Amino acid sequence: MTLMRFLPEYDPVDALLALQRELSNRFDRPFGLDLGPSGRGVYPAINVFTDREGYVLRMEVPGVASEDLEIETQSRTLRVSGKREIKTQGEGSFHRRERGRGEFSRSLQLPADLDVARAEAACKHGMLTIRIPKNEEAKPRQISVKAA
Amino acid sequence: MTDQELTVRNKQEVTGGEATRPGHHYHPDVDIYETSESLWLWADMPSVDGKQLSVNLADGMLTIEGGVGVDDYKDLEPVYTEYNVGNYLRRFTISSDIDVERIRASVTNGVLELELPKAERAKPRRIEINVG
Repeated sequence: MTLMRFLPEYDPVDALLALQRELSNRFDRPFGLDLGPSGRGVYPAINVFTDREGYVLRMEVPGVASEDLEIETQSRTLRVSGKREIKTQGEGSFHRRERGRGEFSRSLQLPADLDVARAEAACKHGMLTIRIPKNEEAKPRQISVKAA
Repeated sequence: MTDQELTVRNKQEVTGGEATRPGHHYHPDVDIYETSESLWLWADMPSVDGKQLSVNLADGMLTIEGGVGVDDYKDLEPVYTEYNVGNYLRRFTISSDIDVERIRASVTNGVLELELPKAERAKPRRIEINVG
């Protein structure tokens, strides 16, 4: 069930709650996705979506610039690496330290019917989005019916 | 200072009806740092840009609120999720006297940086000890 299709008019108030409910329903439960050795617990957390073209992966990487990201694919595995640095200001001391820092590297096993070579990645406001289209053969194809 | 590794933690949800925007709210991770001149605050709020952010300091209470839009999720169907999305909200009581006019806020790569300069009278003063 797609989030927006069932709303008669696009209502931003309900839309966020509907999205949160949908994300919650799929929490840690891969639906029709063979993760293989991959799973949660590795930074960064990934949300996997599909759209008409293929797969869309979203990761929250606050404080990471596009230049600090490295995305690699090898057959069915996608690897996202990067580093996140924290700056301080002069001489002082921390009242609170909750944010992590350092390098990260995560691998994810992807479905076999994706055209990984045509993957595209964009990082905006600390949110990384990777779009991976399906192979041509995997795309739905209309078969015309000839009148006999 | 020990190094804090990047780990995946479940987002902490804000309870109680305190927010101005609808939807579940989460606490952003925050670092607070104090120098003799200012109080610094950094908050991780990925996918929030300047337009969706509000920072408020009133009666010694600092409130930071960041909105995330749902437009980026149109036509997407979730298949597997590890984190939820939602607006960010966090409040702090600030005991220092802050020079409100000189507060500076900026957002880069989803991180809010807030400089709260201390008012002159609030700056640390060395107290001379007279030995009699």
